[in-house]
Amino acid sequence: MELKITDLSKKFGDFTAVDNLNVTMTMGVYGLLGVNGAGKTTLMRMLCTLLKPTSGTIYCDGNDIFNMDGEYRKLLGYLPQEFGFYPEFTIKDYLLYIASLKGIRPIVAKKRVKELVTKVGLQKAVNKKMKNLSGGMKRRVGIAQAMLNDPKILILDEPTAGLDPNERIRFRNLISELAEDRLVLLSTHIVSDIEYIANEIWLMKDGKIMHQGTSEEVINSMPEKVWECYVEKNKVSDFVNKYKISNMKSEANGVMLRIISLEKPFVNAKCAEPSLEDVFLYYFGEKAGVEDVEI
Amino acid sequence: MLKFEVKKVFSKPKNKIAVMLLFVVLVVTSVLTINRVEYVDENGNHSVGIKASRNLREAKNKWAGYLTEDTLRKALEENTTINNSKEAMSEDIAEQDKAYAKYQGIAGIIDIINSAFSEFRDYNPYAANSVSADEVGTVYERRLSTLKNWMNSGEETFTEEEQRFLIQQYEKLKTPFYYEYADGWAALLQNISTFILILALIIGFFVSGIFSDEFQTKADSIFFSAKLGRNKGVLSKMGAGMMIVSVFYIIFVVLYTAIVLFVLGADGANCPIQLDLWRSVYNVTFLQAYLFIVLGGYVGTLFASLLAMLVSSVTRSTTTAIIVPFIILCAFPFLSRIITLPQLCLFFPDQLLEVYVDMKESGLVNLGGKVTTVAAFIIPLYTVICLILQPILYRSYSKAEVK
Repeated sequence: MELKITDLSKKFGDFTAVDNLNVTMTMGVYGLLGVNGAGKTTLMRMLCTLLKPTSGTIYCDGNDIFNMDGEYRKLLGYLPQEFGFYPEFTIKDYLLYIASLKGIRPIVAKKRVKELVTKVGLQKAVNKKMKNLSGGMKRRVGIAQAMLNDPKILILDEPTAGLDPNERIRFRNLISELAEDRLVLLSTHIVSDIEYIANEIWLMKDGKIMHQGTSEEVINSMPEKVWECYVEKNKVSDFVNKYKISNMKSEANGVMLRIISLEKPFVNAKCAEPSLEDVFLYYFGEKAGVEDVEI
Repeated sequence: MLKFEVKKVFSKPKNKIAVMLLFVVLVVTSVLTINRVEYVDENGNHSVGIKASRNLREAKNKWAGYLTEDTLRKALEENTTINNSKEAMSEDIAEQDKAYAKYQGIAGIIDIINSAFSEFRDYNPYAANSVSADEVGTVYERRLSTLKNWMNSGEETFTEEEQRFLIQQYEKLKTPFYYEYADGWAALLQNISTFILILALIIGFFVSGIFSDEFQTKADSIFFSAKLGRNKGVLSKMGAGMMIVSVFYIIFVVLYTAIVLFVLGADGANCPIQLDLWRSVYNVTFLQAYLFIVLGGYVGTLFASLLAMLVSSVTRSTTTAIIVPFIILCAFPFLSRIITLPQLCLFFPDQLLEVYVDMKESGLVNLGGKVTTVAAFIIPLYTVICLILQPILYRSYSKAEVK
């Protein structure tokens, strides 16, 4: 299984959401990391044939996915960021309906739904209406629907957004479990999620992939170093104005700062091991974590 | 897939309420229709509904048979006898009601004589009182001659082809008419258009969300990224829409008809519509007229619903789609009461629900010298438009992008 993206662009009027992208994906988990508005959702929607590119191509094993039509979508499982559903349907009805949309025969669908609701831990809630489910339960239904056709390509757009920490860890583990023998593209702006799951990380900014590689490779791509130091509280603002601060922790004898800088920022600063979060902050700067409109 | 599409529609609380509303409308319209049949007994007591229909049937069916010259003459004599009775001559309304009680059996026949001996566009309810026994046998000839006289008067605006068509239709009508109690059908035909209009609006309400709800609930991404989302998924939505339109239309029209005819009686199905609509250009029986009205209503409902579904697909807004059937079916009849609409409005889809009015008023269509009635033209026209709308709807939805 190979997905090859060549010169892919998507424009909305004057705005370029995805800009001349060239990447190839094979089996494994790809983590797409970027701030809101970076073009992650647009890229994923093109990969799901929900949006047509302005230019460029997406080939699946040598065939244009838009020409493959249903044959390509047969291989696809997709959990969108905004997971819409039919509020009056029960979980069972909803999954059976999606199974029918995926062309799964009713007898197979019933079996598959039973397996998946057990896998996502919803067997007791199977007759509950979708409108009465918690956020975490809805996400679990979302992943179950994406897995109904045992997809070769699994695309998950912000799957852990809005989940509480417990639910997020549970969900992350579930994705890891489901990711075997498939091509998984996972987008998020929660860095730790990607760090745990992804084999390859893509840093996306302004519609372009800035860096790609394993977690280590991406971390090593950062040209600056990470420093940790204690500073007095009244001097914190000076550091914030001068450096990129990836973390700040108040303690009894001052504030512990984690600074990204080429040079030693402070005489007592100690060089620290960089993390993916530091890299994220380095590349995305002040926009990191800002809630923009999703593109 | 179809089952789930239908389930989606009827799992919505507002649509459940609409189904209940439809039953309320069915009951109310049925009661109003049933109460159209009135009877006055020999003591002057008024009754409506089931009891009235039973008595009226008995009174009218004493005169059941072909309206030959002999029957017409006897009815005229009976009318004269009733008119000259002391009850009819009395100033007391209660006494007059007693005279009317005797009159009800021949009322339909006298109405025909009144119509035949009135001017074309000027019905005289007392015309029969001045018709002689020798003249009364000419009612069928007079139907044609009054039409010709009117055409010659220059008061009308029909073209030569249209005039020829009208005369041909009048000549084709089989006479003598068969007369019997047909008040159940007459009441049914008078109210069915209103019932069908309400039915069409509610059906339009059901189907207006079939396409747009995917966008509004944000379920569109999963729908369109599924293997069959852009082909069979769309077809199942269209199928669900068509099924809802057809099943609801048939069930409720059949229920309404069954209730009304069960109470008022289905006698007179084969009597000509001219017993009720003397000037009608449609040479059909009550049953045929009913089927024609129902067919027109079905095509109108289907057209309004398909257009609502198309708007729902294109605009992605259920609210906008809901408005479509109201505009199509209600705006023009409403406007026509305020302003004089151009002749073109005769071809607008609201006319599909007004076939009964068309039967009464005989609107004509002239297509390059080929003349036909409005209903006979617009029913096939909108059937073809409905067929054309379906691939357009399919294409618009299957090519939709999720932005």
